[in-house]
Amino acid sequence: MSSYQEFEDENVASEVDLVVSAYPVQDDGLDEELLSADQTSQQYQEVQIPEVVKNFILFFHRNILENNVYELHSIYEHTFNKLTEKFYAKESWPEPEAISPLVNDDQVFLTLYRELYYRHIYSRLQPTIEHRFHSYENYCDLFNYILNSDGPVALELPNQWLWDIIDEFIYQFQSFCNFRNRIKNKSEEELALLRDNPQIWSCYSVLNVLYSLIQKSRITEQLLVSKNGGDLLEAAGEYGSRPLYKMLGYFSIVGLLRVHCLLGDFTLALKMMDNIELNKKQALFARVTACHVTTYYYVGFAYMMMRRYADAIKAFSHILVFINRTKQYHTRSYQHDQINKKGDQMYALLAMCVTLCPTRLDENIHSQLREKYAEQSNKMARPDEALAVFEDLFMFACPKFISPNGPNLDDPNVLSTTPFEPVQRYSKIFMNDVQHSLLLPTLRSYLKLYSTMGVDKLASFLEIDSEQLRQLLMVAKTRSRQVKWVQGTLLEGEMTATSDLDFCLKGEMIHISESKVGRRYGDWFLRNISKFQDILAGLELTVKA
Amino acid sequence: MSTRLNPSTRPEVIQSLIDGVDRYNPDNVSILEEHLAAQCTNREVDTMANLAILKLYQFNTHLTNDQVVNNILVKALTTLPEPDFNLCLYMLNEQMVSEEPVTRLLALQDLLEQCKYSEFWDTYERDDIYKELTAEVLGFEDAIRANIAGAVAMTFQAIEVPRLEKYLSLKGQALVDFVKAQGWTEANGMVTIPVNKDNEAKTTVLTENIRFEQLTKIIGHSNE
Repeated sequence: MSSYQEFEDENVASEVDLVVSAYPVQDDGLDEELLSADQTSQQYQEVQIPEVVKNFILFFHRNILENNVYELHSIYEHTFNKLTEKFYAKESWPEPEAISPLVNDDQVFLTLYRELYYRHIYSRLQPTIEHRFHSYENYCDLFNYILNSDGPVALELPNQWLWDIIDEFIYQFQSFCNFRNRIKNKSEEELALLRDNPQIWSCYSVLNVLYSLIQKSRITEQLLVSKNGGDLLEAAGEYGSRPLYKMLGYFSIVGLLRVHCLLGDFTLALKMMDNIELNKKQALFARVTACHVTTYYYVGFAYMMMRRYADAIKAFSHILVFINRTKQYHTRSYQHDQINKKGDQMYALLAMCVTLCPTRLDENIHSQLREKYAEQSNKMARPDEALAVFEDLFMFACPKFISPNGPNLDDPNVLSTTPFEPVQRYSKIFMNDVQHSLLLPTLRSYLKLYSTMGVDKLASFLEIDSEQLRQLLMVAKTRSRQVKWVQGTLLEGEMTATSDLDFCLKGEMIHISESKVGRRYGDWFLRNISKFQDILAGLELTVKA
Repeated sequence: MSTRLNPSTRPEVIQSLIDGVDRYNPDNVSILEEHLAAQCTNREVDTMANLAILKLYQFNTHLTNDQVVNNILVKALTTLPEPDFNLCLYMLNEQMVSEEPVTRLLALQDLLEQCKYSEFWDTYERDDIYKELTAEVLGFEDAIRANIAGAVAMTFQAIEVPRLEKYLSLKGQALVDFVKAQGWTEANGMVTIPVNKDNEAKTTVLTENIRFEQLTKIIGHSNE
């Protein structure tokens, strides 16, 4: 697709344009039929860049050249989105070639512009296979420039944008994998393009980028120094001491956490986080809210898939509390919707985890959870309805898993079969696991009522035979013991009893115990001691007076 | 870290391989496969390293060695009730999961996950195929027995001998020896398991811990 050709086509279409430009641009009620029927008119608009947009591009370019991060922040977060709403809500931004003359053909700027241009197409329009390929190539150009120039590049970008670059790179990779997987309804041309370009959006190329950014930035060394002490500047080196490299390296670690989750490798996903301390205040990931939320979502999800429900619950609760507290600060723009959606997904995951591992939650989180998923939570406790609800929630809340290699396009049989969606495979394995726990909530509700109970009696309550009950009790017991994080890396942990309800079998008799939380005196005494001290001090003053 | 994810016996060369980018290099698959073979003979498990093999297979399907996949899954069975078996399944493609021999191993996993131990042994001993599938993993049956004993010791303080026989598929002297080796005692047809932290079922009241930092203000005051 050469854009120069399109340039020439524009002139031919100039007559139609008058009609189109008569439309109010902001009006959402545009006659869609007319617009889409007239492709050429759209192309016209791409070249007829509104004056405001032209000025914006010039301003944008100048600030890139001057590395004015402060101004770029506002350009990136506000102006770009405002102009998108006004002029490009339903069509793409001007072709990069069309703005090239405005910026003296500055290749670095054009690469950055293309990053926004394609991202906008992905989020607002339907990307074609050419868009997908070109966007990949543009990312290659961008990373090549950053990684393989002579020495570190002088470019500086806002953290939010740097995060979005990594985030979008992985999103487009994931989107491509799923696109490639659905070979039905693909044209011959598309299939040929896929067949001839296996390296585009390949797993190895994506991992290569993320690992290269980590190595170049020496972020691992930097994190080790900030954990164990040492000379940070020396650890960072020539590249890593620049914010651009440091942040890209750091975000790439979180990116790998995500990529490995998408590929179903949950242990490796958590291993990526070996040198990041989640519990540390002011960790780097917290500088960008979207990164903060993403980190906890994937950490929690990986824990859940490793059956470490207690750790998953902790991760989800932590970030959901954060989202609640900061609600008023991120009500604006595109991020708000995404954060809310991730939040909803995490409430769903939390509802599942709490069913599988009953846990007392933070009060706010608990009431939010009841508000959103009370019905589902109740159903998950009932063996006959649970499985369907678990599956619904899993499908809603899980990441969009990918299959790393597309279908074998050289095999003619493949083209006629419906490829298996990766998400269904993961859901099947997970549901199989959940299935073994379906009776546990009912078992628990009976155990809570007694301190001793005969095996036969409980078996008859549950309408199973006594041997099945013994098996169920062993399942309940082994499932209530989980590896739980205490210190060190995320994969570390100690075997811990996670249930407040415990029991043992002595022959035919079940002995049940419940651990209770005692009254908390500490706070009360502390408050009263200081009150008392105040009174005392007051008295002493009056005596002296 | 739990031993399956980070065994102390892991050789240095494997450690550095799985810690770095070399884990993605298809040329290294044979080193990891040899490490698996060593685990099979030495009765050890290194799930993290085995997942690295599956990762290489995931990216380079042509490398896939079915026997290796089989052995990795059999090894993972010996770690139940840990989730390793599922963690391996997540890395396999749909075709492998729906075909033999994986489906056979899935059937075994299903029984073990549900603690249907006597049914597990019935299935396992009924068809020679299972012994063939687990042949390369030395001590497979012992490892399964050890895990079953673990689940029993968590749940029971006393269990009838015939029941334990069925759970462990052991009879007569073999059972007596096993019980003794676990430190359990047998009397009057019951096996008694000493109280441990998992089977004691003691009612506890969680009392709060007051941290020293909470008191600093008060202590500071009293010094004034």
